[in-house]
Amino acid sequence: MAPPCPPPPPNTKKRKDAPTNSQVHPPKRHKPTDHRQKTRDARTLSTQTSNKAFQNGELDISSFVKSRAYEIRALEDGMARSKKALNRRAFQQVPKELRRRTASHNVKRVPKRLRERGKREMADDNTPTVTARRRKPTAHMRLRLETVKKLRAMGAKRKAAKDSVKVTVTDLNAPPSEPTVSTTTQKPTKSITAPIKARTPKVKRSILATPPLPKAKFRKRQVHKSWLPTHLFHAKRARMTPPSAPLWRFSIPVTPTAKSYRPTHRASHERGAVAWDMSFVSTVQLEGREGSLVGVLRGLRIGEENLVGRKGDKWREGRRVLEGFVYEREPPHHAIAPATMIWCVAPRDESASPQEKEKRKRKLLLRVHPSAFFQLWEELLRLAKVAKPAVSVEDLRFEIGSMEVTGPGATEALLGALWPSGPAPESLADSDTTATAIEIDGPPEKETVVEETWSALAGLTNPAMLPQNALLAFNVQDPRLHHPPRTIKLPRTDAEQHRLLELVASWPVDAAQKAPELFERKLRQAASARMPSQKAINRRKGLAAPGLYPEVSPKDPQIPVLLYTTSSPANTTGASGKSSPNSGSWTLLAPWKCIQPLWYSLMYYPLSTGQQPRFGGLDQYRQLRFEAGKPWFPGDFPGTKAGWEWECLERRRREGEWRKRPRGKRVNYERVEVGEGRRGEVGVGWGCDWERLLGGPPVVDGGDEGAMEVEKDGESRDKPAETEKESEKDKEAPEQAPPPKPPHLTQLPARQALAFLASPSTTKLPPHVHLASALITVHLTLLTRGVPQPCARIFRLPSATRHPDLRRQWLALLPSNNHPSQKRSGHKGPKHALPRLPKQGDLPSHLVHQRLAQALLEPARAGEEGYPECPGEEDLVGFVTTGNYDLGAGQGTGLGSLLVERVMGREEEGMGRVCIVRNSGTGVGRLGRWGVI
Amino acid sequence: MVRIKHRYLLVNILYPDTKSSHLRPASKPGDDVPYTVQFRRPSPDQVNGGLLMRLIRDGVVELFGDYGSGKIAGSLQVKYFSPATSTATIRVSREHYRLVWAALTFTTRLPRPVDQPCVIQVVRVSGTIRKAEEEAIRRAGLSIRRAEAAAKSSNVSGVATASATPLAVAEGDDDVDMFNGIEDRDEPGDVDDDDDG
Repeated sequence: MAPPCPPPPPNTKKRKDAPTNSQVHPPKRHKPTDHRQKTRDARTLSTQTSNKAFQNGELDISSFVKSRAYEIRALEDGMARSKKALNRRAFQQVPKELRRRTASHNVKRVPKRLRERGKREMADDNTPTVTARRRKPTAHMRLRLETVKKLRAMGAKRKAAKDSVKVTVTDLNAPPSEPTVSTTTQKPTKSITAPIKARTPKVKRSILATPPLPKAKFRKRQVHKSWLPTHLFHAKRARMTPPSAPLWRFSIPVTPTAKSYRPTHRASHERGAVAWDMSFVSTVQLEGREGSLVGVLRGLRIGEENLVGRKGDKWREGRRVLEGFVYEREPPHHAIAPATMIWCVAPRDESASPQEKEKRKRKLLLRVHPSAFFQLWEELLRLAKVAKPAVSVEDLRFEIGSMEVTGPGATEALLGALWPSGPAPESLADSDTTATAIEIDGPPEKETVVEETWSALAGLTNPAMLPQNALLAFNVQDPRLHHPPRTIKLPRTDAEQHRLLELVASWPVDAAQKAPELFERKLRQAASARMPSQKAINRRKGLAAPGLYPEVSPKDPQIPVLLYTTSSPANTTGASGKSSPNSGSWTLLAPWKCIQPLWYSLMYYPLSTGQQPRFGGLDQYRQLRFEAGKPWFPGDFPGTKAGWEWECLERRRREGEWRKRPRGKRVNYERVEVGEGRRGEVGVGWGCDWERLLGGPPVVDGGDEGAMEVEKDGESRDKPAETEKESEKDKEAPEQAPPPKPPHLTQLPARQALAFLASPSTTKLPPHVHLASALITVHLTLLTRGVPQPCARIFRLPSATRHPDLRRQWLALLPSNNHPSQKRSGHKGPKHALPRLPKQGDLPSHLVHQRLAQALLEPARAGEEGYPECPGEEDLVGFVTTGNYDLGAGQGTGLGSLLVERVMGREEEGMGRVCIVRNSGTGVGRLGRWGVI
Repeated sequence: MVRIKHRYLLVNILYPDTKSSHLRPASKPGDDVPYTVQFRRPSPDQVNGGLLMRLIRDGVVELFGDYGSGKIAGSLQVKYFSPATSTATIRVSREHYRLVWAALTFTTRLPRPVDQPCVIQVVRVSGTIRKAEEEAIRRAGLSIRRAEAAAKSSNVSGVATASATPLAVAEGDDDVDMFNGIEDRDEPGDVDDDDDG
């Protein structure tokens, strides 16, 4: 069929292609390559005509054999060609998460296994690769480079001049030798060779910490914010907060550049691990007698059962961590933030008398979200001042960094990165004799029990299996010595698994634990200062035998780390049926400067289940909190100061987004239908309008600024003359001061709220709580369909006396109400819909009738005629602060806050905690159920 | 993945009637062309893909009427036809390849411009064109060896083509023989797994 293939013409194209028919007629220059033609050509087989094959029309064996041989060649050639046509370039085969945009063809940037092939392809293509070193700078770049050169020369000159007249400060111990050499050219007036003893800096307590001085290169970028220790890693791979709008004075990764919503969910629930650099979380250290510290904590309203009761025994010993909300000391006791508290283990000597024990100073770490740090700091200073004997407060913000790792592979990845260092060598003990105030007590064979326990945790997939809020403190080696990390040995046999279970059950760490070195400033600084340079590490690695790690040297730093798991038991709070596997996470505290090497070792750890741990940004953190049904501070606590600020920030952002859209394409919140013929969204459509919820609808001529704004917005449509002014108004709108927090708005603790809701008549709330503006955080599950979005409005069921019809309609939607007989187990298809009919076309008529009857009985769907209208503003009880489709639950869920006053006393009506959720700017309400968390 | 599924029929055209052939045996006296070579003659040059298409379409119309013709019309295609070896690969949709097979089997003459008695043999049904091509290669190698063996046995000198066919070496010689008159390596118990149309 196809004509015999001619030999390929001399190759003029860049790429050496397989000979194709299209090359016979070279395509015009700017014509794009016809891929279809190319594949067709590649697949066409060459054939021989009989005339050619059999000369003179004679049939003989040799011609016969030759013709077959030709056929074989043609077929094999065709197979090879069509395979090649399907081929992709090496850089096109890079896995999704490794793809890059710039210089993707550069062989040096494709994964190693593809590099050989890529090199060949590049050579075939004659593609030039330019390195930065050999690139000819553009005109603009050249100017800049010249300036840099000039500046550098000037700087060097100035530095030289400065050095020559510098007063040399030498150590007492160092022999004075060189300093005079440089000053010989100058007149020898400055002959101050007498050593000046450098004073050891006094630790300043009760003073806010300053961020570490960045390298000169990066200093200008960190004027109004600080970078995390892993900033460079994240800045390459994640969207950071914009430079003009840092979050909490930090540059924080918001979300990875690669798509990561589902991968994060999978990594945290099924396979893999997700890690965050949480160094922005603030740490405060309190030091003082135990009695005073307990007094301070009591002032922060930590539960009495933890402070003195048996429940908090282990925590007070320093063997567990405690997470809890802290409140202001003065009534009305506003909530500040959830905080994590860790006691330093007290030296245990049985001989000490109780008085001595009492007098002994102890240390306590308080970790709190940076948005609430300042509030807590002020509160702590106030409390520390009144405490007797005094308590010293120290800000450890830029001294202790942290990361958080979650997912089934979290323990494994951390084990690969954290190599416990052996017991302290002599030299280290020598150098720190003055520094170490801690006594390493206990029998020597028990000294390494923490390290041993940690190493034996291999195979643990869920940190929540450990004792709740367990704590491990030990020293680790410099992770760069073992970089790149290798997959650790995991338990394979039943016996090993059993041993792990026994270990978790017995938890020997509780019996003997020495004081964590992380609490010691000297040891923290020693670890940071001893970190060898990368050059030194590389040299040592080069000296090591192939495949082996470098020898441990006594000069290696011993990085003190503190590891703890956090997992709040889901069932204690009675959250609304959130039965997701409660996976815990590890939090690692380490000196600020040691976070970065640890982070790299963690990120490049090859997990036994494949891939590496993922990193997450703020969005991923919030996503996983949301999927676990846990509120995220500050976003889900609008009753706190930090939460209110966050709400204002979000409101402004959403408003900006809304205003950016053209008028025809954005929701007109003024005119939107919100049910029962009412028009206009309740409050501002782009925020959770707590002011409106507390204050009720504004008076028509009211002074509510937000409402005026909206009114003007609505008017301007009719008066085009005003649009100029309006646009000005638009511009200045984001700059106006955020709305002040309503004075009494407060967040009720879950336990108090639950007790109060159970029996509002008998339970007495504390007198300072303003009931009309007390919020509770709730978890929402939608019972029918729909997905709650942030800012969605939450309504209670309409009252039975005023709107009995509407109430009945809504109750009819309750899945348990409409068809109790039907248990649809395992039917697929849309949720809460009728079961699917069998596929056969001709059903018996009784089935059709039955179906029809069911359809008539089925409650109306949203958008149909009988669907109940959303209740009005008098039934508004709260707002959704976080809402989305929950990948774990497989339906829309949300977190929100409700006004207690409006939902109490409705329990006895037997409707459980049913509510109606309506997204902002829409008119369809959805039935949901809420539970206090 | 959902995709359109095809079957590829590997087809040999045989010319059992020597009289009407357009080629005559080699003129040299005593140079007896072996039967295996005579049996698998080359096709005349007029036979091409288009003619094969016409043949199949006519055959299907004759056997199955408009229904059959309509069923195969969308997918029928001659992917490869080599007149020198009388080998063709025909593509047809998986559901209807039997119609085409039947039409091929019932063919006794090539259509008009050639008008020659023939037998069309479907030697392989495959799900991918690659497997059909591999089979074609195997069969070509087989027939080369058979021809050489026949030439050797009849002591025909001057056939030094064995060295010219380096491609057909890997196969063992054991499958040169026919099995019950069917030249197929398949075991009798074999089940054709793509026979699901």
